[in-house]
Amino acid sequence: MNNYDYLIPTSVQEAISLHESYGEKSSYIAGGTDVMVKIKQKKIRPQALISLRRLKGLDHITYKEGELRIGAMVTHRMMELSPIIRAEFPVLIDAVENIGSVQIRNVATIGGNIVNAVPSADGAIPLLTLGTQIRAVGPEGERTIALEDFFVGAGKTCLKSSEILSEFFVPELPAHTGAAYWKHTRRGAMELAILGVGVLISLEDDMKTCSGARIGLGVLAPTPIRAKKAEAFLKGKKLDEESLKEAGSIAAQECKPRDSIRGKAWYRKDMVTLFVRRMATVAMERAR
Amino acid sequence: MKNVSVTFTLNGDLVTAEVPATWTLLKTLREYFELTGTKEGCGVGECGACTVIIDGNAVSSCIYPILEVEGTSVTTIEGVAYKNGALHPLQKAFLENNGVQCGFCTSGMIMSAKALLDQNPEPTKDQIRTSIAGNFCRCTGYVQIVDSIEKAVEMIKEKK
Amino acid sequence: MSDLLYVGKNIPRTIEVDKVTGRAIYINDLKRPGMLYGKILYSKYAHAKIKSIDTSKAEKLPGVRAVLSGYNIPDVRVGFLKDQIVLKKGIVRQFRDEVAAVAAISEEIAEEALDLIDVEYEERPAVFDPAEAMKEGAVLVHEVDARGKPITSNIIPLPWKFKAGDIEQGRKDSAYLVKDSLTTTWVNQCCMGTSGCVAEFDMNNNLTLYNQTNVPFLDKQRITEYLAAIGLKGKNVRVVNVTVGGSFGTKLDTDIYEFISIQLALKTRKPVKILFSREEEFRALPPRQPARFTIEQGCDKDGRLTFRKCEALLDNGAYTSWGVTTPSVMMMPMSSLYRVPNVSFEATCVYTNNIYCQAMRGYGNPQATFAVEVSMDRLAEKAGIDPAELRLINSNKSGDLTPMRLKITSCGLEECINSVKKILDWDNKKSKKRKRGLGMASLIHVAGGARVYLSDGHGIMIKVDQNGHVDVLESGTDQGQGSPTVISQIIAESLGFRPEDISLTFGDTGLCLWDAGTHASRHTFMAGNAAIRACESAKRQILQIAVEKMPRLIKSNLKREQKKNPNFVEPELDYNMISDPEKLDIKNRMVFPKAAPDHKYFRFEVSDILRSGLHVGIGESKVIVAEAFYDPPTEMLDREMKGNLSLTYAFGTTGVEVEVDEETGKVTIVNLFAAHDVGKAINPTLVKGQIYGAAYIGAGYALTEEMLVENGRVMNPNFRDYKMLTAKDVIPVEPIIIETDERDGPFGAKGIGEPGLVPTAPAIANAIYDAIGVRINDLPITPEKIITALKEKEEKD
Repeated sequence: MNNYDYLIPTSVQEAISLHESYGEKSSYIAGGTDVMVKIKQKKIRPQALISLRRLKGLDHITYKEGELRIGAMVTHRMMELSPIIRAEFPVLIDAVENIGSVQIRNVATIGGNIVNAVPSADGAIPLLTLGTQIRAVGPEGERTIALEDFFVGAGKTCLKSSEILSEFFVPELPAHTGAAYWKHTRRGAMELAILGVGVLISLEDDMKTCSGARIGLGVLAPTPIRAKKAEAFLKGKKLDEESLKEAGSIAAQECKPRDSIRGKAWYRKDMVTLFVRRMATVAMERAR
Repeated sequence: MKNVSVTFTLNGDLVTAEVPATWTLLKTLREYFELTGTKEGCGVGECGACTVIIDGNAVSSCIYPILEVEGTSVTTIEGVAYKNGALHPLQKAFLENNGVQCGFCTSGMIMSAKALLDQNPEPTKDQIRTSIAGNFCRCTGYVQIVDSIEKAVEMIKEKK
Repeated sequence: MSDLLYVGKNIPRTIEVDKVTGRAIYINDLKRPGMLYGKILYSKYAHAKIKSIDTSKAEKLPGVRAVLSGYNIPDVRVGFLKDQIVLKKGIVRQFRDEVAAVAAISEEIAEEALDLIDVEYEERPAVFDPAEAMKEGAVLVHEVDARGKPITSNIIPLPWKFKAGDIEQGRKDSAYLVKDSLTTTWVNQCCMGTSGCVAEFDMNNNLTLYNQTNVPFLDKQRITEYLAAIGLKGKNVRVVNVTVGGSFGTKLDTDIYEFISIQLALKTRKPVKILFSREEEFRALPPRQPARFTIEQGCDKDGRLTFRKCEALLDNGAYTSWGVTTPSVMMMPMSSLYRVPNVSFEATCVYTNNIYCQAMRGYGNPQATFAVEVSMDRLAEKAGIDPAELRLINSNKSGDLTPMRLKITSCGLEECINSVKKILDWDNKKSKKRKRGLGMASLIHVAGGARVYLSDGHGIMIKVDQNGHVDVLESGTDQGQGSPTVISQIIAESLGFRPEDISLTFGDTGLCLWDAGTHASRHTFMAGNAAIRACESAKRQILQIAVEKMPRLIKSNLKREQKKNPNFVEPELDYNMISDPEKLDIKNRMVFPKAAPDHKYFRFEVSDILRSGLHVGIGESKVIVAEAFYDPPTEMLDREMKGNLSLTYAFGTTGVEVEVDEETGKVTIVNLFAAHDVGKAINPTLVKGQIYGAAYIGAGYALTEEMLVENGRVMNPNFRDYKMLTAKDVIPVEPIIIETDERDGPFGAKGIGEPGLVPTAPAIANAIYDAIGVRINDLPITPEKIITALKEKEEKD
């Protein structure tokens, strides 16, 4: 039967020490929408849950000099309602407003979503396209990790034992940059994506030529990935229907989708080709 | 299993629950406080039948750890009607517009709708649908639930 | 009819206030003193021999009060064909086979105890495809039948063969012929309240079962037989419903979990609750019956249907419940949807190691109508006739006698088709817009009872107290459709009272009379007719008292006036006006003479009359009690599967406009119009509610819902992966209520509960074809299937 202590530290250091003393048998818990479900389904049987909710300094959304900082304990709902994010980073809104339901978004945190590291993590793909850096705090101190290096396997991150993801940091983006994310689902809410496609486009001053692109793909590999070949293809090219179609095909070749109960691999590949083009188009509009 | 003590405001009253730390808010409401109006439809946060309001936000109580409730203000379906027994416009509207059929999803629906209207008294149809997107209903096809919430909006406006 | 006060009005559901205040008690909320919690251990294999079961560790767990297996309870066979026992012994035949059960003081302890039960299995080869299971040499799911006779084939001997007319002649008379194969799969009823019950014996071994059933009296009967078989003959069984969290067909059988809770209650001498988790609801609750159809139809050069021939293959699963009786209902659209002279329908039902099936809203009609209505569209195309026109040419009409011997009384089918055509702008928009398409489909369904059993009766008892409050004992059940409100309206109208004067008790076999069940969309029709008859009797009794007591009441009123006003002159009053019950009436709780409804001295509040009848002082006092048992003059299906089993039939047409994204395969429903001949809408808002809800279930059936079953295992047993539609899946549904005033229906009403669902999937399928030129004959029509079909079409072109 489930029997665990529920601990509520008030500082990051306290949380880390608690985790160190309980070791492998403890689990951090943020909003709980993943951890509580895993416990109910007997996928994990921790002896202690260490709540991150009362830790100070982890729930900010700040935008200064082009740099965006989001604390790990920011809920998806907070992001959805943030005027900063709505105005400056609509690609994040594309993702968060389609996660679960209002009830889930009120509680689930962006940090928890990323640490849970499922290939369908809606928050991860746009952050990947934005070139996000992660700040983590652990017994050995602080470190910065690029988001694209963060995921090492399905459900696995490079966080060391007792490390806490504390903040997301999006560095200043070049001028004329726009990004868009598409979550492909069967119905309008409460969905894990069949696949997710995020595209960031930076344009030259002529507003037609691509100076840089980042393409993030979800549910198309064991972890969220970037379609680097497709990105390289787009760089320097004039963006029109043909080049975007081609980029989509290249991206489709780069991913390794599986057949699962949520969708077939061939369909996922087809949709990658399609949505890279469609999202790139939206990204271009946002860039202008 | 040792019990923990959790003090919070429940439907306007300050209460303390003495329950195991592993209990969720839903289990605490239904078994410790015997408030069975909040329902368990799936137990894993996927259906919305267990929706309650914590500090103004709609949450799924079946996956909400009880210790996180400490110091918060919780409202359940039992706390929606006014203290003098008069029904809240949402409750009236659901009865008058066939927003209730079997009623199992109703508590959750009303709580999601209340959380919306308390924050946004004049929502668009789309905002209403978004607020109940996490509440499944098999009986109504959602149509008359949205109607009921819209009627409640009108009723609340008229009162003012 | 024009001066009805309550019938036809949108009376609110105020009577159900407990549902909006959190006070309604569902099975989840019910607590009985000393109650224990029961949990079921299911099989680990689809087909295996049980070598041993060791429950000793589980029994020792503190808090556990009983552990049962097939080895320590009697072997009584249950089910429609008596092909299963309650806890499986010897062989398990599907993943959801119940192998053991535990009762404990908490759900958690009961679950923990399940993990401590050791079952050793020897796996056997299994069969999951009915086509494979039919073949000679296939793995046999059952080795003996209910009587112990050896079984040599998985094909179940059921009588689903229907023939009318001459198919070969029909073929010869055809100018155009079409043949199609279509399939439908398992879908879950998805009641928001999961299954469960509480069984409680008293110390005399009489049983009370707190339940959620649609069929309390049949449930009681089956359980009574079961008790007799386990040594409790002659004991009383009372089935009492709590508030039901939805049914959609899940509660027509007496489920294995009911028998298990009874056994646990017997063993522990305590009330035992079994409540399904959502995962159990997906894995262990029998879903809708899947079916594979091959259907042929023909018409002459004028578009008149010449014949319809259909063969169906049904996966029965491991045991038999209502699922494989669906062909008896499928015969209805097969033989009687549209006028078709020559009909043949044959259904083969085969045992497999898959999950078995039960009823779901529509009971075979949605599956069969999918086949018939897609075939109709194909025929229309072949014949070069507009699909709506083809349907109108062959439309059923009042007075028809169909090949199944169904007597069509009121029939609004033509009106339904035409109203949908008009509102969709059919003639202008059909086959014109790329990516957008129109489609329609119609339905016929029983709507005036359904004589499935020897009795199709429904009993109501009414008593009226001295304050004029009406208590009604209603032998039907309430799943949320609004019966308390609707029946109150009918009673209020018939008695002359108000809906708020009425309290109802549903579904209690200890109090109520008898009813065949709240199924087949029959409740309003049956209960309404019974109520009207009971009210006639009650009203007569009240008016009889009025006739006897009014003169004295009038005289004492006159005396009082005299006392107040000495100049008062007693008027000449014509007491002849109130000398006979036939001369009086009741409206809005006032008793009055028909000849002078506003008479100054002859109007009395009904409670004054009732009290005068009860508080007599000397002599006989009277209470008002009335009952009626309504059983319509219908017939059961004979050996040829023919007979007028319902007193009237529902008709309807659903018309859909869809838009298909040809790149993603996603279908958007732009408009859905559902025209239904309901006879009379007793409460239009509630009727619409039935149509909205049914349309959503139908749209899910068409586009997104399927239980993914691999080698007998349900792979998506949760709401995340079972794609029931959400509030964000907006479908603009508009109900169109057509009233044909059915003369045999209560105030003209017919059933609506199931019809709303039936034609939805074929209408959508037909619209998709109109939009993108590909037909997907396999539900659900997912984006993948559309993309695949479009690719194939491109290759062909």
